[in-house]
Amino acid sequence: MPDQHIVKSYDRDLESIQALIMKMGGLVEEAILSAANSLENRDEELARRVRENDRVIDALEEQVNEEAARVLALRQPAASDLRTVLSVMKISANLERVGDYAKNMAKRTSVLVQMAPIEGSSGAIRRMAKTVEGMMKDALDAYIQRDAELAEDVRRRDEEVDQMYNALFREFLTFMMEDPRNITACMHLHFIAKNIERMGDHVTSIAEQVIYLTTGEMPEDSRPKGDATAFAADEAP
Amino acid sequence: MNDMRILERSVGIKEVKISARGCQVYYGDNHAIKDVDIDIEDKTVTAFIGPSGCGKSTFLRCLNRMNDTIDIARVEGTILLDGEDIYDPKVDPVQLRAKVGMVFQKPNPFPKSIYDNIAYGPRIHGLARNKADLDEIVEKSLRRGAIWDEVKDRLDAPGTGLSGGQQQRLCIARAIATEPEVLLMDEPCSALDPIATAQVEELIDELRESYSVVIVTHSMQQAARVSQKTAFFHLGHLVEYGETGHIFTNPSDPRTESYITGRIG
Repeated sequence: MPDQHIVKSYDRDLESIQALIMKMGGLVEEAILSAANSLENRDEELARRVRENDRVIDALEEQVNEEAARVLALRQPAASDLRTVLSVMKISANLERVGDYAKNMAKRTSVLVQMAPIEGSSGAIRRMAKTVEGMMKDALDAYIQRDAELAEDVRRRDEEVDQMYNALFREFLTFMMEDPRNITACMHLHFIAKNIERMGDHVTSIAEQVIYLTTGEMPEDSRPKGDATAFAADEAP
Repeated sequence: MNDMRILERSVGIKEVKISARGCQVYYGDNHAIKDVDIDIEDKTVTAFIGPSGCGKSTFLRCLNRMNDTIDIARVEGTILLDGEDIYDPKVDPVQLRAKVGMVFQKPNPFPKSIYDNIAYGPRIHGLARNKADLDEIVEKSLRRGAIWDEVKDRLDAPGTGLSGGQQQRLCIARAIATEPEVLLMDEPCSALDPIATAQVEELIDELRESYSVVIVTHSMQQAARVSQKTAFFHLGHLVEYGETGHIFTNPSDPRTESYITGRIG
């Protein structure tokens, strides 16, 4: 199929929306990494910047929605063009949520720097954040290159994040049982870990949109799930 | 996401009304329709789409033997209506066209009164025994054509004095006055404004309860709005035929995709 529309301005419309998505994606990736770094380095200033930059991400999401509504109203896209517009709207919502989670991480970091650090935790959280950020990067690459295979790979990698979250969950439970003075810090850290785990789910959802966009079908098999903490309450040490 | 008409999908499998196999049409040396196989369902709106000259109108005209009126046209293959070959020498094309009605691109009312426009078909086919019968047929047809309320007080006025949209609905009413089983429409809205178009589209949707409707249209949005099945023709071939929601979200053939998304192809 030829790449270009007969009406060239249609191509420009679709390209400009997708450029907005990539811009959003870049900012969100940066927010994830900065939030994790601010926690590890106890960098309050960096945490503050993550919180502020979230406004830009939110504004971009609104802009994507407006542009998408315009294309729907003015050009009545069909087939792959329609799927492009639909997936752009969903992906921007996913990115916006990931941005919110990063912002929440940064907020908790501002509280955590006032407390004694919990040994080893921030390194593990940074590794988890790094994994999710890598998945995000690949999901967005898969989007731009219309690469369903890479998207499928991203989907599979979410299990890794779930397992990291399980491990951290147990670790925090142990710390809290050992010394109740750890509870406040561990609760915040647990929420941070949970936030990153949720980011992984949103990245997975982006990958699914890429599969829908390229193949026209949503992936049918339910994706592998590794989060077992809902069943883990009683067996903790 | 393959089907945006969730409600309509729940309707069971429809009966096949028209079945074409290995259909070829030649205009002299020009091979206009190449080996088309298609099953058109009863009580369904089927849209034919495709670029100009792709053969969609030619194929539509095969379905009630309108191509017989063109000397150089030659039709091969079989076309069955309810299992019976419409090109069988025993079939009278005039009777066939009473069963398979047609509406054209330009509204073409007879230069007669509104009443006589509708009464003409039933009269020549002997569908009415007396004047009261005929009055009833005229009223029923005009009501089904969604134009009764606009013309009931001036049935003696000439049909040509109506607006374009009204004329087209009059022609549809005329086509259904002979109680056809299939209604063929060749771009019925291309000469109408958006309001009249919407009225005709609403009418098509109502007609689907009783008839098999086949519509040729250049407006892909119209095909998407009114039809349940869509057939895409290209250079005389039937490229793709399937459920309308599927054709417009995820067509299987790249040529269909190029056409409906407005790419060079």
